[in-house]
Amino acid sequence: MQATTMNFSIEPVTHDSVVIRVGKALDFRNAAEFKAASQEQVRNGVRNFILDFTNTGILDSTGLGSIFSLYRQVSPMSGQVVFASVSRPVQVVVQLTRTYKVFRQFPTVDAARDTIR
Amino acid sequence: MEITRQSFTGLDVVIDELHGLFESWEQEGALLSHLDIETIHLFRLAVHEWFANLVQYADFGTQKPEVTLDVIPNGRRVRCIIQDNSAGFSLLDRLEVQKQALKPFPERGMGLLMLNAATEAFDYSETNNGMQRLEFTVSSDADPCLNIPFS
Repeated sequence: MQATTMNFSIEPVTHDSVVIRVGKALDFRNAAEFKAASQEQVRNGVRNFILDFTNTGILDSTGLGSIFSLYRQVSPMSGQVVFASVSRPVQVVVQLTRTYKVFRQFPTVDAARDTIR
Repeated sequence: MEITRQSFTGLDVVIDELHGLFESWEQEGALLSHLDIETIHLFRLAVHEWFANLVQYADFGTQKPEVTLDVIPNGRRVRCIIQDNSAGFSLLDRLEVQKQALKPFPERGMGLLMLNAATEAFDYSETNNGMQRLEFTVSSDADPCLNIPFS
């Protein structure tokens, strides 16, 4: 079943994997909400996160920090955070911060699902 | 060189107004037409980070916040001047503190560092009429990098 928060929708892929559709923005205004929503998923046993950036026009430093926080939480449990369908504004942040070294990127959510499954 | 000036007053809506402005510039195509799309997004990110800093941390006291954004395209570069009527702060000191405090996969403290890394000719000072003035340039010919520790 798909869960929707104010800005994000979360869709299960397997028992321990989800897709988070980030939506228009992940920034200082909603990063705490993203963190709370992703932490709840971790508490429920989710370890692998596909972040869908198809429609994302803004990813700022605080938004990126909330993704780092999620990564710090799941990586000791052999979890993954991957990026899918990365929009150009998000790609600019990825390139500036060289976070492509940490987060695998997939051209589509389906490609990420096939790998995560 | 043509200067485009925009003024903002309500901090609660300033981020939405800012991005609405960028979207209209991108659709119209004229103002930033000499820049590639990546540079426009980098410029937009830099301005967003400064506005986010103003919204979250600036001290306007009892004054109504006033922020102006000047955009000056110059070939493959764009110069930007942002002025506001806040109390200001020691930006260079803050940058140094944030640089020293940067831990692997930081959750906070990257905004000003990201802004600094994304831009050139970065300068912050107080004007003669008491406004705080940030000036920077974003270039299509640069490949900027913020060195975040990953281990």
